[in-house]
Amino acid sequence: MADFSWDVRSPLDRALVAGSYGAQGDAGVALTEIRNFDLVQVMARRGKAAEMAKAAQARFGVAAPETPKAVGTADATLIWSGPDQFLVLSRGGKHTMDSLAPVFAGSTSLSDQSHARALISVSGDKARAVLAKLSSIDLHPDVFGVGAAAATSMDHTSVTLWRGADRADGQAVFNLLVFSTFAESLWHTILDSAAEYGATIGHSEELM
Amino acid sequence: MGGDQTNRLTSGGLIDRSAALNFRFDGKTFSGFKGDTLASALVANGVKLVGRSFKYHRPRGILTAGSEEPNALVELRSGARREANTKATTAELYEGLEAASQNRWPSLSFDVMSVNQLFAPIFVAGFYYKTFMWPAKFWEAIYEPAIRRAAGLGRAAKVSDPDHYDKAWAHCDVVIAGSGPAGLAAALAAGRSGARVILCEEDFVLGGRLLADGGTIDGLSAAEWVARTVAELSAMPDVRIMTRTTLFGVYDGGTYGAIERVNDHLPVPPEHQVRQRLWRIVAKRCVVAAGAIERPIVFAGNDTPGVMMASAMRSYINRYAATPSRRIALFTNNEDGWRTAETAIAAGLQVAAVIDARPDVSPAHRSLASKGGFPVLHGAISGVDGGKGGVRKISVALTGGARAEVEADGLAVSGGWNPAVGLTSYHRGRPKWRVDIAAFVPDGAPPGMVAAGSANGAFGLGACLREGFEAGAAAARDAGRSGNIGSMPVADDDAFSITPLWHVAGKGKAFVDQQHDVTASDVELAQREGFQSVEHLKRYTTLGMATDQGKTSNVAGLAIMAAVSGKSIPETGTTIYRPPYVPVAIGAFAGHHRDENFHATRLTPSHHWAAEQGAIFVDTGLWKRAQWYPRAGEKDWLESVTREVKAVRSGVGFCDVSTLGKIDVHGPDAGAFLDRVYINAFSSLAVGKARYGLMLREDGIVYDDGTTSRLAEDHYFLTTTTAKAGLVMQHLEFCRQVLFPELDVQLTSVSDQWAQFSIAGPKTRDLLKVIVDPAEDLSNEGFPFMGAREVGLRGGIKARLFRISFSGEMAFEISVPARYGEAMARNLMIAGKPFGVTPYGTEALGVMRIEKGHVAGPELNGTTTAGDLGLGKMMSTKKDFIGRVMAGREALVSPNRQVVVGIKPTDKARRLRSGAHIIPKGETPGPGNDQGYVTSVCFSPVLDQWIGLGLVERGRERIGEIVRAHDPLRGEDYDVELCNSVFYDPDGGRQRG
Repeated sequence: MADFSWDVRSPLDRALVAGSYGAQGDAGVALTEIRNFDLVQVMARRGKAAEMAKAAQARFGVAAPETPKAVGTADATLIWSGPDQFLVLSRGGKHTMDSLAPVFAGSTSLSDQSHARALISVSGDKARAVLAKLSSIDLHPDVFGVGAAAATSMDHTSVTLWRGADRADGQAVFNLLVFSTFAESLWHTILDSAAEYGATIGHSEELM
Repeated sequence: MGGDQTNRLTSGGLIDRSAALNFRFDGKTFSGFKGDTLASALVANGVKLVGRSFKYHRPRGILTAGSEEPNALVELRSGARREANTKATTAELYEGLEAASQNRWPSLSFDVMSVNQLFAPIFVAGFYYKTFMWPAKFWEAIYEPAIRRAAGLGRAAKVSDPDHYDKAWAHCDVVIAGSGPAGLAAALAAGRSGARVILCEEDFVLGGRLLADGGTIDGLSAAEWVARTVAELSAMPDVRIMTRTTLFGVYDGGTYGAIERVNDHLPVPPEHQVRQRLWRIVAKRCVVAAGAIERPIVFAGNDTPGVMMASAMRSYINRYAATPSRRIALFTNNEDGWRTAETAIAAGLQVAAVIDARPDVSPAHRSLASKGGFPVLHGAISGVDGGKGGVRKISVALTGGARAEVEADGLAVSGGWNPAVGLTSYHRGRPKWRVDIAAFVPDGAPPGMVAAGSANGAFGLGACLREGFEAGAAAARDAGRSGNIGSMPVADDDAFSITPLWHVAGKGKAFVDQQHDVTASDVELAQREGFQSVEHLKRYTTLGMATDQGKTSNVAGLAIMAAVSGKSIPETGTTIYRPPYVPVAIGAFAGHHRDENFHATRLTPSHHWAAEQGAIFVDTGLWKRAQWYPRAGEKDWLESVTREVKAVRSGVGFCDVSTLGKIDVHGPDAGAFLDRVYINAFSSLAVGKARYGLMLREDGIVYDDGTTSRLAEDHYFLTTTTAKAGLVMQHLEFCRQVLFPELDVQLTSVSDQWAQFSIAGPKTRDLLKVIVDPAEDLSNEGFPFMGAREVGLRGGIKARLFRISFSGEMAFEISVPARYGEAMARNLMIAGKPFGVTPYGTEALGVMRIEKGHVAGPELNGTTTAGDLGLGKMMSTKKDFIGRVMAGREALVSPNRQVVVGIKPTDKARRLRSGAHIIPKGETPGPGNDQGYVTSVCFSPVLDQWIGLGLVERGRERIGEIVRAHDPLRGEDYDVELCNSVFYDPDGGRQRG
């Protein structure tokens, strides 16, 4: 018998309709799902936080975040997710469980979350206005700068929210990771919230 | 000038005469202008009668010009958008507005129920409590519906609201309630300091009382100063001005509630826009500049249409260029009321007389009276002659005993001003009495909040600006902002003198609370009947309990209570203030969370595939799960479910079980950790094996169950029930962080990482051989019962395979990363096609677990022990675990406990129902001989009859006994046999085979 094919479907594969949504005219917000990524939860074992930090520094060339921050490197983003733990987000296939296991052997426990989350990026003039309907976090530029991160909730759903590097046009970019099984539900709430400003909707395989 | 706006001035006012708007009130067409409220447009059209009162159906007019209005309540809009009890005084006029008066039949001017006035002597305080006491059962059936028809206010739309509402968060250093002189000055100071400021104004225009009363600020007219200030504020990037927004409450941690009426001023919200938005504002500091509310004086006939608050009359004349009356009388007990006489004269109206309750009137006002040619009468109004057509004549009791009469078609009243102490009092604050202004003022406030301006009892314009500016500066400073605040706006202070006057004795009803029809004599009656505490007074008379929350009536009510009970006003005190400050639509609190968005929804990885197959979904917690997959020709769910069960038992089927909670337990101490949270041992579990585990609560009652597999020496994969997934994760985190911090163990929820399917039936292995890498040994020896390991799948991906069975059949569970979940379902269909593979839903899953006697949610119900479930032998005696000690308590090990047992009707054709009580045969059903109940039922295709599980006293010792299933809810009573709970394959040969 021939081999089976294993199509990958993101949790938003059906709900996301690329194009414009809501109010016509210049879209106030861009909503982009990023589909191709690896996400690994890294947790220090008891008393091994320093060892974990050292390993992270060696692998990524930066210190792993010790407070709610997202640290960008050339090919990964390290996102704080709790005391002595962080997430490694990278382009699909870059920093996988298998490739990180030897790096952190002995000092950490790793758990694959690549399929457990959907990744949505929100940017544009009205990004903060849209997110204000979803999140209790203060996103004022003086308060939530580039690299700020929060483990918080939106629409009663746990999310990891962080501010990535600004767009080429200077607009702030907010990224959110939401649990896969909640993603479609939250997506509809995001659309509801964005409708009055008009949204440009798309998806991308690549992390920005 | 448009239409027949007979009472519109030819110039002046903040209305746009170039933008005429047509509207309908009670079916009649009128016109007004942009900038009008419904109330001001009615005033401009000479409409005085706008509603009927709550209890007596008395004719009522417009009393105020703000959100404190008790009388001018209308049903706004029609059809599904009909909104009852809308204040005409705050409803912005728009083209095509439709409004109807309330509580009248058949029409506003001829209202049948106004005969209630004739029976007024019996409709006193406590009337309903006293009258409709007996017979008790008449209350719900007869009295209440009749009373509701006769009394009450507007009618609800009774259909779903077609508009959207949403909720949003905002953050700032300083939030300011109100944009009068104090609020604008506060915003200026705070904004200039560099603070992030939110200025909330419930009106659609900024300026507060400046809009009606004008004044000179920094040498500019009030209008010019407001324009300049708003321009300055608007240029500040971190100052946000929110009109049509009422700050209605203060909550813990500096969180404030506000309601923004985003599109209430339009007939229908523009596409994609919301009608209203609920704001939660997090602010370091709050300045309450909400102003003050002018209060009425209680006298006979004070509710006659045409009687209006003096300040409201100025608003209509100055702001809206609409004249409520042509010949007005003014009744005041304070200096401020006289402004209305000045305004009336300036607008060319006649002043019939000023009745001043104070002993003396200023020389300036005396000369105004002599120039205007009207008398100043020292005394008080004792009666009003008029009706639905409005005020005609006013009786005055002059100081010294003589009487006078004044002919007028309108009466302006000022009893002084009550600072709006709501926000400052919402955390159980009690305002304090200030004698000089005869009013309650804030006495402290919730943390971070301060009142300024007339909300703080400062009634002069200069004082309002000063207090506002200083409060704004201090708030910004406290929030860490230190920019240059520039110079303070300056204005003269007006003198304010008042002689308190609350109630004038006279013939006829004198209303305290016009919205709830509470009179001065109701207050006096309450006092005589012992309801003297203000809280009792409120509830006995319903004073202040209407939608206006007594904004114009509370202080007068308690002042009258103070007078009749011989106490001072501060001794009498106020009732407790509670938010919201104005009514807030429930829809705004719900926001998006209505209908299908009532709560978040979780979808399984194969959801869309299941939908394609025509699955019927069931809500289980937040999840949508496939309940069964109907096929053409099947007449009901039972037929579909029975087919699915038979297909599994005779061939092979699969079911998405991804909803189970899944937790990675990592670390060198993972086994030791699990030994403590489960009653059975896991440290002894071999790598590559799975084991069923049961965990207890600290009190010894069963908490959850599920299988846990050991994937590596330091890695277990734990599963929970669907219902408890989140709770078990919390529980384990608590155990890890708090109870056992010494253990080196890490936890991660991987519930969403894996798509998991149960594949069950005698042909399971045949199916798997097609899809699993041929190198994998799936034989009984190579993959024994309770084996667990990673396998390769054809086509290149890896999966985890667990040989576990819930159905009692030969079964595996297979896990793939979630984004392959849909492909997994499709590939299972392809691989299983030669074997007649059948997808099955939660119903078939449930049938098979009941046939097999497996316990689930109805048995793990928070009252059962391991022993009750027949799992007592799993409790290890070689180790400690959570719940062990408490599970040994006498009552939890009693032989008389209700335990899980099988149940089947003796009549094989009878349907068993869950919830039926188990009663010994021959006994009368009752609590004394209730021996348990049926927990789970199904139609068993294997046994061809209805079967069930139940919790029955000493059930396991009574196998074979015939008892009664007594079901009073459904009116059923029938014989059932207690039997072994494992109906199917009791020795388990099939699942091991």
